[in-house]
Amino acid sequence: MDQADVDLRNLTYGHLRKVGRAPTAVEVARASGSSVDDVRAGWRRLHNAHALVLNQETAELRMLNPFSAAPSSYRVQAEGRWWYGNCAWDAFGILGALHTDGRLEASCPDCGEAVAIEVRGGRPDDTSFLFHCLVPASKWWNDIVFT
Amino acid sequence: MNLFRSEEHIARWLGGREPGATIAVEKLVELGLAWYADRLDRDWRPHTRDENQAILDRLDLVGDFWRLP
Repeated sequence: MDQADVDLRNLTYGHLRKVGRAPTAVEVARASGSSVDDVRAGWRRLHNAHALVLNQETAELRMLNPFSAAPSSYRVQAEGRWWYGNCAWDAFGILGALHTDGRLEASCPDCGEAVAIEVRGGRPDDTSFLFHCLVPASKWWNDIVFT
Repeated sequence: MNLFRSEEHIARWLGGREPGATIAVEKLVELGLAWYADRLDRDWRPHTRDENQAILDRLDLVGDFWRLP
C-alpha cells in the first residue's frame, strides 16, 4: 500500500469520524481534489488490501472496519452519536478506535431479546453474554461480510 | 460474530452447524479495544499479519481456530 492510498484511506476514515457516517466517493473526491474515478480506483486497491470493504453492488463503502457504512444490528453510542458496527467484535472495536467509553445495543440472534452493554474503562457492565465466532481466522477474509 | 445470552442460545442458533469459538464478553471487549486501537490514528499504517496474530496471542486466543493465514 503506497502513501497515496494510505492518505486516501485516512481521509475517508477522517470524514467518517467528523460527520458520523461513511462518505461517498463524490464527497471524498471533492475533499481531496481528485476525480471520482481516482477515488473509486484507490478504494478498490484498499479493498483488495483489506483496509476497507466496498459494496459489491454499488462500489460505495460497505465497511470502514470497525464501522459499518450501512445500518446494522450492532449499534454503539459514543461521543454523542450512534454508530453501527459490522458485528459484536467491531461494535466494541468502535470504542477502541474512538478511545472512549460507550454503550452497545443489539439483540440475541437466537431469541431476539435485547442486549445492552455499557463499557466504562474497558470493562463491560454485564458479563453474562457470550460471543460466538463461527468462521475460523484463516477464512475471515474469504467472505468478510458473512464473517 | 454475534453476542448470545447463553451457550444454549448459541447451540440453537447453530442448528446443527459446526460450532466455531465462544469467548466471554469481557475478552471480546479487550479484543475489540486492542484490535482497533490505532484505526483512527493520523499515522495509521496497515498491521502486518504477525502484529495481528500477536494481539490474538496476547489475549490467549490461540490454537488452529485463531491462526491467521
